[in-house]
Amino acid sequence: MSNGAARSNNVLVVGGGVAGMQAALDVANQGYKVYLVEKAPSIGGRMAALDKTFPTLDCSACILTPRLSEVARHPNIELLTYSEVQSVEGSLGDFTVRVLRKARYVREDRCSGCGDCARECPVEVPNEFDEFLGFRKAIYVMFPQSTPNVYTIDAEHCIRCKRCERVCERGAIDFDMQDEIVELKVGVVVLSVGYKLFDVRQYPRLGYGHHRNVITAMEFERLINAAGPTKGHLIRLSDGRMPKRIGFIQCVGARDVKKGVPNCSRVCCMYGIKNAVMAREHYPDAEVTVYYADIRAFGKGFEEFYEMAKTRFGVKFIKGRVGEIVEDPETANLQFYVEDTLSGEILDVEHDMIVLCPGLQPAEDLDKLAEMLGLETSTDGYIETRDAFAAPLETNHPGILVCGCADGPKDIPDSVTAGSAAAMKATILLSSGGAK
Amino acid sequence: MGEKEQPRIGVFVCHCGHNIAGTVDVERVAKEASKFPNVVFSTDEMFMCADSGQELIRTKIKEFGLNRVVVASCSPRMHEPTFRRVVEEGGLNRYLFEQVNLREHVSWCHMHQPEAATEKAIDLVRMAVARAARLESLPIKTVSVIPRTLIVGGGIAGLRAALDIADRGFEVVLVEKAPRLGGHVIKWTHMFPGDRTGEQVIGPMIERVMSHPRITVYTDSKVVGFDGYIGNFEATIRSNDGKSEEKVEVGAVIVATGFKAFKPKGYYAYGESPNIVTLEELQEMPRRDDLLRPSDGKPVKRIAFIGCVGSREPGVKGHEHCSRYCCLAVAKAAADLRDRVEEALVLYQDVRTYGRGHEEIHRLAREKRVIFSKFEPSEKPRVTVEKGKIIMEWHDVLADDNLRFEPDLLVLASAMVPPDDVEETANLFSLTRSGDGFFNPEHIKLAPLTTHTAGIMIAGVAQAAKNASESVVDASGAAAKATSLLAKGEVEIESTVAHVDPELCSSCHTCVTACPYGAISMDNSRDPPVALVTEAKCHGCGTCAAGCPSAAITMLHSTDDQILSMVEALLMPAMTSGGEVQ
Repeated sequence: MSNGAARSNNVLVVGGGVAGMQAALDVANQGYKVYLVEKAPSIGGRMAALDKTFPTLDCSACILTPRLSEVARHPNIELLTYSEVQSVEGSLGDFTVRVLRKARYVREDRCSGCGDCARECPVEVPNEFDEFLGFRKAIYVMFPQSTPNVYTIDAEHCIRCKRCERVCERGAIDFDMQDEIVELKVGVVVLSVGYKLFDVRQYPRLGYGHHRNVITAMEFERLINAAGPTKGHLIRLSDGRMPKRIGFIQCVGARDVKKGVPNCSRVCCMYGIKNAVMAREHYPDAEVTVYYADIRAFGKGFEEFYEMAKTRFGVKFIKGRVGEIVEDPETANLQFYVEDTLSGEILDVEHDMIVLCPGLQPAEDLDKLAEMLGLETSTDGYIETRDAFAAPLETNHPGILVCGCADGPKDIPDSVTAGSAAAMKATILLSSGGAK
Repeated sequence: MGEKEQPRIGVFVCHCGHNIAGTVDVERVAKEASKFPNVVFSTDEMFMCADSGQELIRTKIKEFGLNRVVVASCSPRMHEPTFRRVVEEGGLNRYLFEQVNLREHVSWCHMHQPEAATEKAIDLVRMAVARAARLESLPIKTVSVIPRTLIVGGGIAGLRAALDIADRGFEVVLVEKAPRLGGHVIKWTHMFPGDRTGEQVIGPMIERVMSHPRITVYTDSKVVGFDGYIGNFEATIRSNDGKSEEKVEVGAVIVATGFKAFKPKGYYAYGESPNIVTLEELQEMPRRDDLLRPSDGKPVKRIAFIGCVGSREPGVKGHEHCSRYCCLAVAKAAADLRDRVEEALVLYQDVRTYGRGHEEIHRLAREKRVIFSKFEPSEKPRVTVEKGKIIMEWHDVLADDNLRFEPDLLVLASAMVPPDDVEETANLFSLTRSGDGFFNPEHIKLAPLTTHTAGIMIAGVAQAAKNASESVVDASGAAAKATSLLAKGEVEIESTVAHVDPELCSSCHTCVTACPYGAISMDNSRDPPVALVTEAKCHGCGTCAAGCPSAAITMLHSTDDQILSMVEALLMPAMTSGGEVQ
């Protein structure tokens, strides 16, 4: 594996979502060492929190878990979770990376993930993994299949009662643990930092944050998830009742120049349709309506799924932008006007629950990362790539590659594909034509 | 059946969160299982696939000296490899593991009958326990990998994959059926993004491929024969004139056979006027500084486009899919051409300008006053040709008005469909196809580039309709799959294969003809010759064993004894329950 051109044959992958995991695996499978840095306590990214996936309705966590174990057990992959890249210096073949390993206060080498500590912990904290709809303890794993299967103490909420320390049979709790900086030498850097969802509060007329039964698509995912806060029971947040008339609103924070999100987010039409189908699956007699601008079902099997949503699942589709959503103070039902642009009619509708489908935006702090690495970004904030045909994953900085949503919104298969492609480019750079 | 250790079976019943436990009484299933013969440990657990569940199996193997493991959870399709690995880590042979599907086969399909579902779950677990007691260790086999890749198709995807693999240091054999490389892209005048010609985009790639020391190119040739198994394939390449034929050995294959632009006969008067062309035909017309009418060479003043021609047609086989590339291609062509014509019109169903930079083009077209008019799929536009004049009539749903337009040039955005010889390719490489006619990936979400045939990858439009820049990323990804295989140098193969007992074989050849994978031949070194299974090619389907009149074939891991024990456990539960060890 040695060659003169590159001083380090290791690869750094930043971000342990589905794209980063794929990149790491495809590099590692070719015999190169990979450091996979993830800022959350577990790898898995967004996909871990999704319920089902379009267009096959595969259970997201179920298809993801084998990937998680594959990454965790790969002899060529070193996982650095709960860690953040602080700086990257150098050039292709010779990068020096400083990574902040945040203190978990739980020793990874000792914790077996048994959960005795969490059962003992008296502090309950709204669970960010469940979009704050449920609770977790101050010592926690993000989700049952968390990888590595190691608990983390949330220092912000921990009251230092040390009950976890007393109950842990393996002596894994370590309150003296400190943040540390590790220095890595790598030849290539792959950025797979994902995305953030548009903050739907930027549309005050849609009432999110004021009307309890207006929720986001991610909240919907957690509500219908069997491992979620309601064990998969789809209920209204206002009164815990089953919603009978559910509306989905598309393009919330996408294709809107005024909100600084001029582009289409590629995934919302399909996740919106998928969620609409799931709503009908949960409550076959519920009335489910999708309000859309254009239905962009462009990937393999997508159009067919859209057709099935209309015909087999009886989801209603209305082309039109909805007006201001008003909450009925008695029932907490939601009322609004919408122009059905196909019939030209103004409709006065009422729903029990409204699900807003936000668009995707560049990951939190992507601008800072880009600045630190000297990478060019596009006007909408994603990393700019060199050439769509000749170098679609290469940034202006030789040896720094992108995949997944780092250079623009992508769905799961496109992210996985880009992850594999980034791995190919990385190993070409490292091998300099050597077949080992 | 030879020396036998007393089976010591552990049963692990998974809740799968609420997925199984919401319907099936998993605690009861685990409790019942503890009474089955040879079961020495039984429990239920929230997520067996999670690290904690895996750790539980390893711990209990040691603690109870388990030598068989049954996990009652989900479909083995996803997690059998996970649990096989876990029992291996616990010190057992991977074939001493048995999985019961309590999710897809029980809880999800009997959601409203929890009682009956629980009974069924208990039955299935009892059967699995009976089978587990009879499972046997099988050897773990590996085969070496020939460090060379065959790429079928010399379009933009095939070229990219070839360059990546060769740049990585491995040999490539590239086969293209046309006389020259470059596929569709080389013929096109306007690429997105940017505004280069196809020639400008792909020309440098072709040059590099032609001069690369590790790439051998066969143009005007086809793969006519294909045989072998992962790591060890043999392809026969024949020139189209039939004059030369060569055999090459390869370890991996990338199928990048692309698409055919649908010729929309019977749609919108296509064929009735030279001025009605497809988008592909427009792309192949000379650069647009000079857009002339094909019929008489006069400048085009009014141009119109119609979208979704042969795409998005529910119930029409092979035309139900969205062709993905056309909305943007139409918006771009319309925006580009708007300056050279007096009027430009686009008739559409939905505008699917989904990618980065697509909306800018869409907006640019609208800013330039390209007219976008939406029609309903149930009410398609009518196009007639009268005395050489093209007349379009349609109902604009947004304006709720009947409209009419007479373009000089009508461009039909026709579908991407598979090439004519797609079925041949599918058969050659044992690939399956989906409703869109293109090849099925191994998994539509997480394994979009590999296929169900180990060692064979798909890239570009061979997998589904997409544009050129997306095909390039596919190609690099598929190349990574190939190089992962080549760099390892060897690969494990399944041991769940057919085994012939030479003493019982009557040399009748039934199995040779029955085998769908060509895995069985006659071993002529024996007298009389007997059937011989090439294990790396065998998929363990059992067709041969079912057909063998002499019962000479045993399916390893699915022996008669193992299967009948399950039937017995189902039909005569009293015999196999009760807790007493036989």
